[in-house]
Amino acid sequence: MRKFFGIMLLLLVMVIAGCSSDEKAGGEASFPSDNIEIIAPATPGGGWDATARSMQKVFSDNGIIEENMNVVNKPGGGGEVGWQYLKKQDAHHIAINSSLVITNNILGQSELTHKDFTPLAILTTEWNAVTVAPDSKFETGAEIMEQLKKDPTSLKIAVAPSLGNDDHLSFVQAAQEFGVDVTKLQFMIYESGGDVLTAMLGGHVDVATSSVSEFKEQHLAGKVKMVAVTSEKPIKGLEDIPTWKEQGVDMVFPHWRGVMGPPDMTEEEIAYWDDKIGKLVETDAWKEILKNNEWESYYMDSTETKKFLEEQTKKYEELLNVSGLTE
Amino acid sequence: MGVDYQYVIEGFITAIQPANILWVIIGGFLGTVVGMLPGLGPATAVAVLIPVTFGMEPTSALILMAAIYYGAMYGGSRSSILLNTPGDGSAIAAAFDGYPMTKKGQAGQALTISAIASLIGGLFAIIGFIILAKPLAAFALKFGPAEYFLLFLFTLSAIVSLSIGNMVKGFISMSIGLILSTVGVDLQSGVHRFTFNIPQLSEGIDFLIVIIGIYAVGEVFYNYMSLDRIKKEKKKVGTKWITKEQWKQSKWPIIRNGPIGFLIGVLPGAGGSIASMLSYTTEKQLSKHPEKFGKGAIEGLAAPESSNNAASVGAFIPLLTMGVPGSGTTAVILGAVVMLGLKPGPLLFENNPEMVWTLVDSMFIGNIFLVILNILLVGLLVRILDTPPKILYPLILVLAFIGTYTLSYSVIDFYILVIFGVIGLMMKLLNFPVAPLILAIIVGSDMEQSFRKSLVAHDSFVNVLVASPVTIALVILTILSICYPFFIGWLRRRKQSRA
Amino acid sequence: MLRLITPIIFIIFGGIYLILTFNMTRAKIGDPNAPLYFPALIGIFLVIISIVYFVQEWKQRKETVEEVKQLFKGRTPFLIIASLVLIFIYSFLFERIGFLYSTILFLTGLLFVVNGRKQWIKNILIAVIFSFVAWYSFAELLDVSLP
Repeated sequence: MRKFFGIMLLLLVMVIAGCSSDEKAGGEASFPSDNIEIIAPATPGGGWDATARSMQKVFSDNGIIEENMNVVNKPGGGGEVGWQYLKKQDAHHIAINSSLVITNNILGQSELTHKDFTPLAILTTEWNAVTVAPDSKFETGAEIMEQLKKDPTSLKIAVAPSLGNDDHLSFVQAAQEFGVDVTKLQFMIYESGGDVLTAMLGGHVDVATSSVSEFKEQHLAGKVKMVAVTSEKPIKGLEDIPTWKEQGVDMVFPHWRGVMGPPDMTEEEIAYWDDKIGKLVETDAWKEILKNNEWESYYMDSTETKKFLEEQTKKYEELLNVSGLTE
Repeated sequence: MGVDYQYVIEGFITAIQPANILWVIIGGFLGTVVGMLPGLGPATAVAVLIPVTFGMEPTSALILMAAIYYGAMYGGSRSSILLNTPGDGSAIAAAFDGYPMTKKGQAGQALTISAIASLIGGLFAIIGFIILAKPLAAFALKFGPAEYFLLFLFTLSAIVSLSIGNMVKGFISMSIGLILSTVGVDLQSGVHRFTFNIPQLSEGIDFLIVIIGIYAVGEVFYNYMSLDRIKKEKKKVGTKWITKEQWKQSKWPIIRNGPIGFLIGVLPGAGGSIASMLSYTTEKQLSKHPEKFGKGAIEGLAAPESSNNAASVGAFIPLLTMGVPGSGTTAVILGAVVMLGLKPGPLLFENNPEMVWTLVDSMFIGNIFLVILNILLVGLLVRILDTPPKILYPLILVLAFIGTYTLSYSVIDFYILVIFGVIGLMMKLLNFPVAPLILAIIVGSDMEQSFRKSLVAHDSFVNVLVASPVTIALVILTILSICYPFFIGWLRRRKQSRA
Repeated sequence: MLRLITPIIFIIFGGIYLILTFNMTRAKIGDPNAPLYFPALIGIFLVIISIVYFVQEWKQRKETVEEVKQLFKGRTPFLIIASLVLIFIYSFLFERIGFLYSTILFLTGLLFVVNGRKQWIKNILIAVIFSFVAWYSFAELLDVSLP
C-alpha cells in the first residue's frame, strides 16, 4: 500500500511542477500572447451562447483575430458563475453580459456589479413587445394599461424566465408611466419564451411580454396580436405596431447584450478589443447573423459602454424599486 | 385537415438525395455514439454541432440535427441495457428490464429487441406525424397549467404503484425526489430556496447528475461487493437473434406503446422520460405476469423503447407547426435553425411545406438505417461485457465524471454526483425503488410551477381538478393507479381463500 | 434494532426540511407565502409516510438486514472509501491541473485500488490511453470545453 501511495505522490508532484512551469512561459510578449476565450455564462442554446459563438465565428472566419478561440460555457446563477470565473482570468478572456450584470446585484443575488469588470462594448439589442390573443378586445398597449389602471389584478400576464428581467421590467415601466399600481400585477412566470408562446396560443394567459423576435412569426401569421414595442422607431417588417412613444409614453427599452473583460485591463488591451470589436460589427457576416436572429446593432465602444452602464444602473435601481422587488 | 400527399412525396425525393442521406447517416451514427455516453444526451450533441451547421443549407442542417436526436434515443438505451447506466432520462426505463436480461445472459437479444422496438415506435410516430400533425398541435395547446399538473401527478402515481408490496418505500423515494426538485430559484417569485448561497445551485440540481450518480456510480459501488467473488467465468452474452416466443411476447407491447409515446411527445414539456416511464407502467399493469417485470421480461424492455423513440418524433410537431420547442433538445434545434435564417412557426408549414416533409421523410430513412446500424453494433457492444469488471468499473466511474462535467462545467457537480452515488448504493441495499425518485426530480419543478400557475388561473384547488375533460380524466386515472395495487392484493387474497 | 435507523433518518430529514422551508425568504411580489406551499406539503407528507415506515419496521425489528451487512464484508469498505478519497482528490485537482493529467492520475489510482498492484503496467497503460482518448474525443472532436 505504501509503495502505491508513494508512486501517486511522485506522479502528483511531477504533474504540478510541469503545469506551473508551463504557465510562466507566457507573459511579457505583446497582447495577445495566448488563446482567446469567449465566456458564455449560460448553457448552449440561448442568446448569450449564440452571441458568443457568432463572435467566435466572425472573428476567425474574417481573419480579424488570428489566435485560437474557444467558447466556454459557464452556466449558473443568471450569469454569476461565468462572471465569477471571468473575474479571475486575464485579458485573453471576455464574457458576454446583459442587464443581468446590473440587476443581479440590485436584487441582492450577487456581489458583482459592472464595476468589477472592464466594459468593452455593447453589441446588439432586441426590443420587447406586448402581445395579446388575435381576438382580444385590446387593440393597443395603452388600452391594456387603462384596464390595468382600473384593476391591476384583472389580467394574467405571461413572462419568462424570471422576474426582474427586461421582459418583466419593460412592462412594469410602461405600466408605471400610465399610473398602474405595478406591485399588484399578476405575472405568471414561464420557463422560456417558447412556453410563454404556447400559453398565449392556448389561451391560458391574457397578455404576454417578451422580446419581439419570439412572437414576430406568430404575429405575421395572425395567431397573436402585438400591440406595443419598446423601440425608438417602428421595427422593420412590423411597421404597423405602434411604439410606446407613439402611444404617448416617453420610454425606450432596449434588451441589450455586450461584452466585458476581467478587472484591471491595461490601456493597450482595451484598445486591442476596441479595434477588433469595431471591425467585427462592420463585417457582412456579422450583419447577416444579426438579421437572422432579429437582433439590431447597438454598438458602443468601451468608453461609451462605461457611461451607458452607469445610466442603466440608475434606471434599473428605480424600476426594481417600483416593481416591488427591492425595498 | 387534408394531407398534401404531393408534398410528402416531393419531400421524399429530396430526402433520398445522396447528400441528405449522408447527413442522416452521419447524424444517426453520431447520435448513437453520443447517446451511449453517460450525461451526454441529444441536447449536448446537437449544441456542439451548431458551428458545423453554420455553413449548411437549412434543410440539411435540420435533417442532421433530427438524426442526432433520434440516434441518441437508440444509443441511450445501449448503456442502460449493458451496464445499467442510462445515458439520458428517456433511457432509464430501458434499464429496468434490459439490465436483468443482460444478467441472464441475454444481452444480445435485449439490444436487438430494443432496436426493433425503437424502429417500430419511430415508424408509427412518423405515420402519425404525416396524418395528424396539425390537429394534434391544436390539441396540445389546450394543455394549460392544470392539465400539466395532473399529467405529472398521474405519472408519479403510476410509477409509485409499480412498487407493489413496497408502496411506503415508493412514496418515500418519491418525496425525496420532489424535495430535491425544490432546490433552486423559485420561478414564480424569484426566491432562492435551499441554495445555501451556492450560485451553482440556483438553477437546481440537474436530474442527469442524479441519474448518473444513482445508476452509474451507485452501481459501481454496489458491484464492489461482489468484485472478488466473480471467478473468471466466460460471461454468456447469448445470440443477438430473438426467438419466436420473445417476438410474440413483445409484439403487442411495441405496437401499443408507439402511439402512447407519440402523443406524450407532442405535448410541450412532457417528452421521452415520461413517455417511456408511462409505457413501462402500462405494460406492467396490463401484463398477465407482472411479477416477471424487473427480472428481465422482454416486454418490459420493448414497451419503453418503442415509446421513447416515438416521443422524439412527436416532439417535432409543436416545433414545426408552431415554432414551440417541446423538449430541451428541440429548443436547441430551434436556436440552431434560427441562426441559419429559418423561422419555424405557423408560417413554416405554409411557406416551406417541402422542407417539413423532407425532414419527416428523412426520419423514415434514418430510423431504418439506425436499426441496421444498431443490430450490426450488437456484436461489438456485447464485447464490453468481456472487459474484466475490475477494469470496467473504474472506467465507468471516470466516464460518469466526464459526463457530469459536460453538463454544466462545474466541479461542484462532482460532489453532488458522489453523494447520489452513495445514496444509490444505500437505496439498493435497503431495497428502495429508484424510479419514483428519478421521475420526481425530472417532473418535480415543472409540476410545482404548473400547480402554482393553475391556482392563479382557476382560483381554487377543486376548480383545478375539474378545469376540463382532460383534467377530470387524469384525476380518475390517478386515483385508479393508486388503488390498483390494493385491488390486485384483494384479488389475490380472494383467490387464496377460495383455493 | 438496526432497521429503525433508516426511518428515523427520514423523519429527521423531513423535519429539517420543514424547518428550512418555514424559515425561507418570503416572496416580495404576490402572496408572500406562495413559495412555501409546495415544499411544506412534501415535507409533511415525507414525515407522515416515514412514520408509517417506522411502524412497519418496528414490527420486524428483530430481523437483521442481510444486504447491509455485506457492505462490511471483505474488501468492500476499503474499496468504497478509497474510491471516495480518490474522487475528492480528483475533484480538487480537476480544474487546477487540467482534465488530462488529473484523469490519468485518478484512473491509475482507481485501477491500483480495484484491479490490484500486481498488474501495474496494465493499469498505467489503460489509464493513459483511456484518458487521452476521452480527452481527444470530448475536447477535440465534440468541442466540449474541458480544463
